[in-house]
Amino acid sequence: MVSTPPLLRRRFLCTTVSKNWTVKQVTKSNFQESLEDIKNHISSSDFIAVSLQKTGSYSAPLHRVLSIDTPEIAYWKAKYAAERFQVLQFAVCPFSIRASNYVIAHPYNFHLFPRDELKIGMPSYSFSCQTSYLTATAREGFDFNSCIYDGISYLSRMQESAAKTQMGNPIPSPDVIKSSSVPTLADTLFVQRIRSRIKHWKNTCKSSSLKTDEPLLWSIRKIVLGNEEYRSRPCMTIDVCSERQVQLVLEMLEDFSDDLVPLIIPAKGGSIQAVRVVWTSSKEEKELFERELQNVEEEENKKIRGFREVIELISASQKPVVSHNSLNDFTFIHSKFIAPLPPKVDEFMCSLRMVFPYVLELNILMKKIGPLRKTTNISAAISYLKNHFLAPIDIEIPHKVNEGKVHGHNALKICLLFAKLCSILKISPSVIESGNEDLAPTLKGLANIFSRFSTNLEEPVDGNISFWSSSTRKVMSEHLVFLWGFKGGITAGMLKGLLRESHDIFSREFDVKLVDKSTAIVVFWQPGLSQTFVDIINSDGISGSLRELVSDGLKGTCYETYKRVCRLGLWELNLAGSLDRALMKTDCYLEDDSKRIQSEMYWYNDDVINLEEL
Amino acid sequence: MNAQHGPVRAISRALSRAIIRSFSSASSTSSRPPQSAPAFPFKNVTKLNFDASLAELRHHVRASDFVAIDLEMTGITSAPWRDSFEFDRSDVRYLKVKDSAEKFAVIQFGVCPFRWDSCNQSFVAHPHNFYIFPRQELPSFGTSYEFLCQTASIDFLAKYQFDFNACINEGISYLSREQEEEAKQCSNLTYDGELSDMWCNLKDVRDIPLVSMVDILFTERMKTKFSEWCDGLLQDRRGEVQFQRTSEDSKQQLQVVFFKMRPALSLDGFTSHQLNLIQLVIKKHFKDLSYVSVNNENSSLQHLVVYTDSKDDLKLLMKEVKDEQHKGAEMKIQAAIGFRHVIDLLSSEKKLIVGHNCFLDFAHVYSKFIGSLPLTAEVFVSSINNYFPHIIDTKMLLNANYVLQQRMRKSSTSLSSAFVLLCPQIAINSRSTHPASDSCVKVEVQVNDLRSSSWNPGATHEAGYDAFMTGCVFAQACSHLGIDFKLHEPSENLAHKEQLQKHINLLYLSWTNGDIIDLRTGNKVAESSGSLNLKKRCPVILFENIVLIWGFCSKLKANELRECISKVFGVRSVVSVYHLDKTAVFVQFSKTELVSDFLILKDKLERSDGPISVLHPLAKLLEGGNTCAASYDTYKEICGSPISELLFADQARAVGIKWKSKLVEQKVAKESEQDENSSEENIAPSSSKKVKSLNVELKKQSTLLHCVL
Repeated sequence: MVSTPPLLRRRFLCTTVSKNWTVKQVTKSNFQESLEDIKNHISSSDFIAVSLQKTGSYSAPLHRVLSIDTPEIAYWKAKYAAERFQVLQFAVCPFSIRASNYVIAHPYNFHLFPRDELKIGMPSYSFSCQTSYLTATAREGFDFNSCIYDGISYLSRMQESAAKTQMGNPIPSPDVIKSSSVPTLADTLFVQRIRSRIKHWKNTCKSSSLKTDEPLLWSIRKIVLGNEEYRSRPCMTIDVCSERQVQLVLEMLEDFSDDLVPLIIPAKGGSIQAVRVVWTSSKEEKELFERELQNVEEEENKKIRGFREVIELISASQKPVVSHNSLNDFTFIHSKFIAPLPPKVDEFMCSLRMVFPYVLELNILMKKIGPLRKTTNISAAISYLKNHFLAPIDIEIPHKVNEGKVHGHNALKICLLFAKLCSILKISPSVIESGNEDLAPTLKGLANIFSRFSTNLEEPVDGNISFWSSSTRKVMSEHLVFLWGFKGGITAGMLKGLLRESHDIFSREFDVKLVDKSTAIVVFWQPGLSQTFVDIINSDGISGSLRELVSDGLKGTCYETYKRVCRLGLWELNLAGSLDRALMKTDCYLEDDSKRIQSEMYWYNDDVINLEEL
Repeated sequence: MNAQHGPVRAISRALSRAIIRSFSSASSTSSRPPQSAPAFPFKNVTKLNFDASLAELRHHVRASDFVAIDLEMTGITSAPWRDSFEFDRSDVRYLKVKDSAEKFAVIQFGVCPFRWDSCNQSFVAHPHNFYIFPRQELPSFGTSYEFLCQTASIDFLAKYQFDFNACINEGISYLSREQEEEAKQCSNLTYDGELSDMWCNLKDVRDIPLVSMVDILFTERMKTKFSEWCDGLLQDRRGEVQFQRTSEDSKQQLQVVFFKMRPALSLDGFTSHQLNLIQLVIKKHFKDLSYVSVNNENSSLQHLVVYTDSKDDLKLLMKEVKDEQHKGAEMKIQAAIGFRHVIDLLSSEKKLIVGHNCFLDFAHVYSKFIGSLPLTAEVFVSSINNYFPHIIDTKMLLNANYVLQQRMRKSSTSLSSAFVLLCPQIAINSRSTHPASDSCVKVEVQVNDLRSSSWNPGATHEAGYDAFMTGCVFAQACSHLGIDFKLHEPSENLAHKEQLQKHINLLYLSWTNGDIIDLRTGNKVAESSGSLNLKKRCPVILFENIVLIWGFCSKLKANELRECISKVFGVRSVVSVYHLDKTAVFVQFSKTELVSDFLILKDKLERSDGPISVLHPLAKLLEGGNTCAASYDTYKEICGSPISELLFADQARAVGIKWKSKLVEQKVAKESEQDENSSEENIAPSSSKKVKSLNVELKKQSTLLHCVL
């Protein structure tokens, strides 16, 4: 045993500190200044903890990940939630772990609201709220007013490009690549005509710039000649009607490159409407103008991106991101700040990895400590570790915050728990200690595994997944049959009894569980029987008491139907309704994967599906 | 028409509210309320003061002559294409209102009873501002509660400093009548079931094979403990020693209590596995003991082992448990009704209810407090009429009456501008400059014991104030219609006044195209010709002439579309093209036959891949291969779906439309009947088609002149 007194003292210190943790609250008004700070903190830290406060997590109990769900289904369920609900607060905490028990953290809480700042109907037309979730959030002291009044808006990467074309602001032209196609007669004529127009106009510009016009005369000239101006420089707009013409104009303008700057004006539909040529009087003047344009664009980008700037900073740093329930949080992050979620889980993982190369899931680390396997709550896990392990962690928050708000500690708790877990599991998290710039090898192995069904990018999602519990019995998704249409209020046991007497097929070993009040699953432990049963129940030739049950409305289908429910989001009030709906849509064109993916699940001997939760 | 139509109603109110404020600031020379007159208190009702306020409101409503209401919602349209359009047929309009009422939440409800005070010769208004929130008060009842927020609406409320924290933290929850019934049934089922469950549980406890040593030891230990306790009880009967607790730790786990006058052991701190084992032990070895789980006051589950004398006693115990649970559940349901008590009050008192453009408001009232909305407008209005026999819409009133239109000087009939124009003495915070003329109905606002003859709450946007304004506008409008309140008897029902008969129970189904629905009959009434509704001068829309096209290339503009269709069907074939959103358009043809002609032609072109189809004028429209087309009824079908995708093309896909063209069936039949060989004709405008009637044709011609693209 290590000498306890100093450690105990430290532990005491740690707990007292936690009450005074101050988190910088960022809203619209202090966003720009905070952006500079967090940029520095991100670059000086080793890890970044993130945590989201949303308007809801699931619309119905069935939308939560159940133990019968494959990783793919878990993703679809997370996707469904991410597309409906909104992020209200984004906690970011860049942190470093020094000397195994000393954490330097810089916590920020960004308040978000999808306000349509640019009046272009983005980022979000509407969003859902789950009342129980909002009530719980309110109980924690969350300030909805500050979030809705002063929340920072944002646009996703995808929306940004759409917004730029929609706003129709001129874009500096990209470098011209000479086209290889031979110019047609029409092209030549067009170029000639434009060239002479430009020459003429350029000469007028030159001559008029030599004369120092009186302001009045200048404005009269402007009105009479219809001279245009862009950023107080003379300019001319050349209308184009095809991409080809844009190319021709840009090529031609190369000849005038010392004092003319072309700008492209996009049309609403995404095509190009015109090319605007701006005249600058000298080479220096031209450089000045180009710099100006660049600044304008940067300002504009900042305005458009809003909070996404922080996501870009995290992404650019390539630092490992630590989170809890990463599947949920990162589906939100992807759909709100990157692009709409792809239909397949592996596409999502690929796309996410392009943005965040290392995502560390706390649940994965927690599973390495036996008793924490089932804990999903961060605070509970922290207090468990506090009581059972001697792993004191000191957290230092260097920046001082004047405001007295002390709520929203989630990201900090993630830092703390991560540091504790690393210390207990003897993982060296320190980048410097491990000697290279990269992540410590142990952590690298744990990166990008999402719980609760360790969706690892390295291995195919449909492969075998090693799991931990000994009290589980493996079950293949194929061996499951969903049953519904039985009498309400029936228990699994009663249903099992009914089934046992209904058909010979039930003389073999089978189990029955209720998924919700309307639907049960039947597990056939002998391979192949599930398909046989589904065939029997849907055939004309059924007889005996099974026929009676079917006449009373009993229906059965295989696991694929449930998958279809989840993939297409065909959610109804209960699972029975959803399955009915999915069966009606069998011929849906989205049906693309004819190959049946075998997925394994784990069948606990005691109630896997907690009926209290359903 | 712009896509951003949703919060228009709210925004127009905001604008006029800004006008009010600028007026008042002009008179008081400061934008803040004058220091001398402290801000008039606002009657906000949350769950903290609901019970007291309800009792008070009950009293005010009973004494009132009419009650004005107003609602604040979290949004109006769930997708841009669900906005209110001129191309809304009345059944489609209802589906849109239904969708809105089902998806969005009501977060504030203004109720303002008005009573004529004959002593003071003025109305006394009692504005109440209820914060409501659809909090789930009953556990495990149905699916979890969820509602939609329209970003623009929430942002608008935020601009007027709506207190979202108060709403979420302290909002009053509610149950609709339907939900109450369901909850009752549910509780009946569970508690009836509970009884059988308890019996079942006893029979049903699975034989867990006692594999581990721990389990065996635990079972044995429990067995001895229970038998000791039983023996102790029996001995106690004979007047001897009580049950002795053997070990210290079991003291916490097994506590002797009395349950329904019977000795019992309360089980605490056991795992569910251990509880299973205990159940098993009891079932196997003890006839006199039974295992009971009940919800205690903290609604956590309590597990007990109860001693019963006999089988009859056991039955009796079960019944007692059941009854108690049932009663508890009933109490909880009663408490969860919450704000619906206010609605029930308005309904049972049968008072005249006044709203402003309130069809959507009543759809919300119905879906939140009565039950799920019926499928058709007719059923809905007759049901509303049942609950609220007298409803008057001030927007309706202002537009339908000539005298009032003159008064309004053709200005907007939005609530706040009507308020400023009709009731300047109340709106503008200066009693001296506006001496109450004879035509002005005096209104005094009363909150608690404070009274004032003018009320301007400043920069807030509260449903209570909107309800107050609505009531004032109504009182003033009545006076202009010739109702003399000075002669008004308190016993007289305002709803029966002759002057109001022409306007009562009529609501705008759609303000955009002036569709009115009669709540008593469910009939749709055309707006009277003298109406102020100026933008409604637009021609009659013939829905059977409309084709809905979606999924085309997003660059395609309305005039290009018209051009390419006109090339095929003739210059005058297209009456108008109307963008639903950037992925969908309505094309109104000059003749009904052209609808089916178009659909057949489109279908044919898509089937053949030859060079003709590439060169065909319609190729531009079909570019990309995702262009779909159907008649107007498909729009109705899609509006009826509970899904709301942002873009119409995505919506159609989500609804599950797989075909590309839905041919108008009876037309197709007719076509093939007529002659097989005329199919070529489809490409040319089919002039041979019979003209239905000259009358219709003329109407279409005039339509052509009116519609400008």
